[in-house]
Amino acid sequence: MSGPPSGPVLEITGLHTEIRRNGAAVRAVDGVSLTVAAGECLGLVGESGCGKTMTARSVMRLLPAGGVITAGSVVLAGTELTALSERNMQTIRGNDVGMVFQDPSSSLDPTMQVGRQIAESVVVHRGASRAVATARAIEMLSLVKIADPERVARGYPHQLSGGMRQRAMIAAALACEPRLLIADEPTTALDVTTQRDILDLIGDLRAALGMAVILVTHDLGVIAGRTERVAVMYGGRIVEQAATSAVFARPRHPYTEALFEALPEMASSRLASRGLYSIPGRPPDLVTRSPGCSFAQRCRYVRDWCATHEPALDGDHPGHSYACFFPVGVMGQGGADGQGGADGQGGAGGRNTLISAWVSGRGRQAAGREATAVPADPAAEPLLRVSGLVKDYPVAGGVLGRRSGAVSAVADVSFELLAGQTFGLVGESGSGKTTLARLLVGLERPDAGAIVFDGADLAAMSARQRRQRRSGIQLMFQDSFASLDPRMRVRSILSEPLAIHKTVRRRGYRRQVLRILDEVGLPADAENQYARAFSGGQRQRLALARALIQRPALIVADEPVSALDVSVQAQILNLMRKLQRQYELSYLFISHDLSVIRYMADTIGVMYLGKLVETGPAQEICTAPGHPYTASLIAAVPAVVTGPEVTQPRPAGTLLAGTLLAGTGQPGMTALPGASGPPVAGPDPAHPPSGCRFRVRCAFARDVCAEQEPALRPHAVPGQLVACHFPLGPAAAGQVAGRTAPSIA
Amino acid sequence: MTVYLARRALQAVAVVLLVTLIVFGLVRLAPGGVTTAVLGSGSAHQQFLAQYLTWLGRVLSGNLGRSARLNESVGALLAASLPRTLVLTGVSTLIALLVAVPVGLLQAVRRSSTVDHVLRGLTYLCYGMPPFVLGSVLILYFAVDWHFFGAEGPQAAGIGGVLADPRDLTLPVLTLALVTIAIFARYMRSSALDSLDQEYVQAARARGGGERRVIVSHVLRNSLVPVVTLIGLSLPQIVGGALVVEILFNFQGMGWQIWQAAVNHDVPVTLGFTLVIGVAAAVGSLLADIGYAILDPRVRISRP
Repeated sequence: MSGPPSGPVLEITGLHTEIRRNGAAVRAVDGVSLTVAAGECLGLVGESGCGKTMTARSVMRLLPAGGVITAGSVVLAGTELTALSERNMQTIRGNDVGMVFQDPSSSLDPTMQVGRQIAESVVVHRGASRAVATARAIEMLSLVKIADPERVARGYPHQLSGGMRQRAMIAAALACEPRLLIADEPTTALDVTTQRDILDLIGDLRAALGMAVILVTHDLGVIAGRTERVAVMYGGRIVEQAATSAVFARPRHPYTEALFEALPEMASSRLASRGLYSIPGRPPDLVTRSPGCSFAQRCRYVRDWCATHEPALDGDHPGHSYACFFPVGVMGQGGADGQGGADGQGGAGGRNTLISAWVSGRGRQAAGREATAVPADPAAEPLLRVSGLVKDYPVAGGVLGRRSGAVSAVADVSFELLAGQTFGLVGESGSGKTTLARLLVGLERPDAGAIVFDGADLAAMSARQRRQRRSGIQLMFQDSFASLDPRMRVRSILSEPLAIHKTVRRRGYRRQVLRILDEVGLPADAENQYARAFSGGQRQRLALARALIQRPALIVADEPVSALDVSVQAQILNLMRKLQRQYELSYLFISHDLSVIRYMADTIGVMYLGKLVETGPAQEICTAPGHPYTASLIAAVPAVVTGPEVTQPRPAGTLLAGTLLAGTGQPGMTALPGASGPPVAGPDPAHPPSGCRFRVRCAFARDVCAEQEPALRPHAVPGQLVACHFPLGPAAAGQVAGRTAPSIA
Repeated sequence: MTVYLARRALQAVAVVLLVTLIVFGLVRLAPGGVTTAVLGSGSAHQQFLAQYLTWLGRVLSGNLGRSARLNESVGALLAASLPRTLVLTGVSTLIALLVAVPVGLLQAVRRSSTVDHVLRGLTYLCYGMPPFVLGSVLILYFAVDWHFFGAEGPQAAGIGGVLADPRDLTLPVLTLALVTIAIFARYMRSSALDSLDQEYVQAARARGGGERRVIVSHVLRNSLVPVVTLIGLSLPQIVGGALVVEILFNFQGMGWQIWQAAVNHDVPVTLGFTLVIGVAAAVGSLLADIGYAILDPRVRISRP
């Protein structure tokens, strides 16, 4: 990491920001003080609605309508920003402070050339001529490691992939070499592999340009190893602030601790049957000010004192401050275990053993198998058997719009799923996961292959026959907000499937609806509400209820938790597992998040460009992957390693692989080629590479990989199938990067 | 881009052919031997398709038929009235755009301010008022009471003649423009509100662009994309409005002519003019597609 702080670049003191709307004032930022030194990276963490983004926007003075800074000061390199006129503030934005936004698909103007957007700040602040601006744009594009910068500068955003757009966005933010970069959830919308590349890039540029960085994120994994200090925000305030290593080693505020424990990676530290720790309730609404600690209502160590007295932000160690009367690890364990009930189990005992599942763990998996009590009988007839499934989408071209080619979305995919089990499907965006889900539920018809469900081949049925059987498989969408009709009451939403399939008499609808609401943990009076009245987690509960009301044997869940905060994500995952045990449900669980998949799945399938490249038991695949692609996906997952063992933050750029891949201590699997060097444009699914589709990004590719397509072959562990000519050996897995010649299995 | 435009042009040709088929089919359905009147007595025993093809052949060679009532060829009538209508609709659409785009943008930028509320009220008023009422009111005050402008449209021939008479041209253009302004401004307002909400506008502000720069270089262009499509699609509507306005102001353009023909059962004229309006609609949507492609690179350039 970079050298010691040399005076703060940014100093925020007692910042209060309100958003006034319809006569109510939301205290979005409620007395935040923090500093960031030159070359330092500060992580700002918390659930959504806790004021992270508003703090960042207050620095830029780019608040939403009705937003006002009511008190406090923001000093940037000696200049008080809150006192500046709007005109003077414009000379700061983009010049002294750069900002990167969350969604690269919406933060670039679709109608303006990429180069012009990157150079906009140079034109505005330096009065650069067109030629100088173009040259600067190209220079910035090469700085963010985009290949062929001249061409990209002339192009438009839609011609770039998500990762490249975010690079362009970073280039635009840095064009004037600002002292401070604010990155607001810069990787939340990206795949894990791309996320790693972007975070590496920000880290490199920080060192190269010596700028300060504020990394706003809800993902603790992103913070680990990439920031020097962390500020945890709750209810518009900072509740804990310290060196990243100190917070990871020993979180002191119960909220911080709860955030850690809600991570699926933490699953090994407790019994699987108890589920993940989830923070009950929701963040405070920030309109009404109640006395006492704002976290008190959700805190498992809460005492009477907390409800009436407000804790100040101070600490026992210099540099580690927290706003709590009964910090974690000092008092309250005894009482907490008594009070916390089932949820309190992780409190004291678990805390010191909060070591990532990725490092040690089989705990949850072993216990999980007992808990779900599904005998893995190899002779049992699977509930679902997919074989040789193919789906191509035609590409129209030419003047007459004739079919000129095809995008191979799903190519020869086969797998099985036993009743009561979960099949986890992982892969980057564009790998065909969602198409596979749509094929299974009958929203698309396969071009070839069989989907044998409960003894009948769905692929061979007519649409009418399928409709009669579809209730056996239900789909749960990613975006619960978009998939719930905003003009229907919950009662109608939930009884619609009953009406379509006519499985229940009309008089029985209401009873069914109330029963299912109870099962997914929603109050009975929810039946009269509209979907907009619910929070993200509650809407996902509704989505689950809608899928469940037909009593399906299989639920296909397409990224069901990827839009949720960790604590809410934990609630939904727990609920899904509870219902699975209760009804012997099967899930096909799709996610780009390996830790979620690992927590949920019995069997994992890894997809790449429409192909299933590896499948097998979840635990074994995560500890000893056979396919290089699986290994690189695992390596890209940000590590959350907590506990007293970790005293130093992980150096930026080092991957988890060393600990993950059998713990050889090697700085394991390197990035996908193109991750650190000039990025290779992802292969085009309309023209997949010959032979092995992964070979163009594979570090071990040889001539044979281009000539012969590898078939799925049994690998080290029973049930593990790998489609690779040179699969990673179980013993050698840890030395992936070190080995000189691929081992031939 | 070329492929895209070629495809759109082909579609336009198909639409025009379909229009001819429908127009001819309607005539054929009409009672009273109308088809024979158009095609001549020799066609009476022919099949529909043969009749249609005969007529289409004539149309393609530039012969739109002859009005027995006026003893003039439809082509000649068209040559006299088309330029007049083009001036009326062209000038009013141009004025509408020049007013509506800034007005809509202003409303979006000053959302929920007094300016926005007043302008919204005015556009609602114009939007809801039928052109003949609006025109009559304008005539009543500006022509009859105050004598600012003429109550009748320009009577001189040709584009030059019409444009040379601004005193008489003002009220017809104004009547047509006010309605069009109302449509465009309301659309522009909501389109600009959408654009202002986009993250790339925040990103542009975060790069230090002043509000004027952000609006001109980011909001305006993106907001125009849907508006351009609307202009192309509302061309038939504008022509329809022109019909009412032309009758109201006794302005002898295409609308006036087609009304006269319809009232007097002058089938060849009705047929020919309807066809031209159909072609105009197809051309309008083609122009909209071209404008759309110019404004939005996502249409122009496909992913590499």
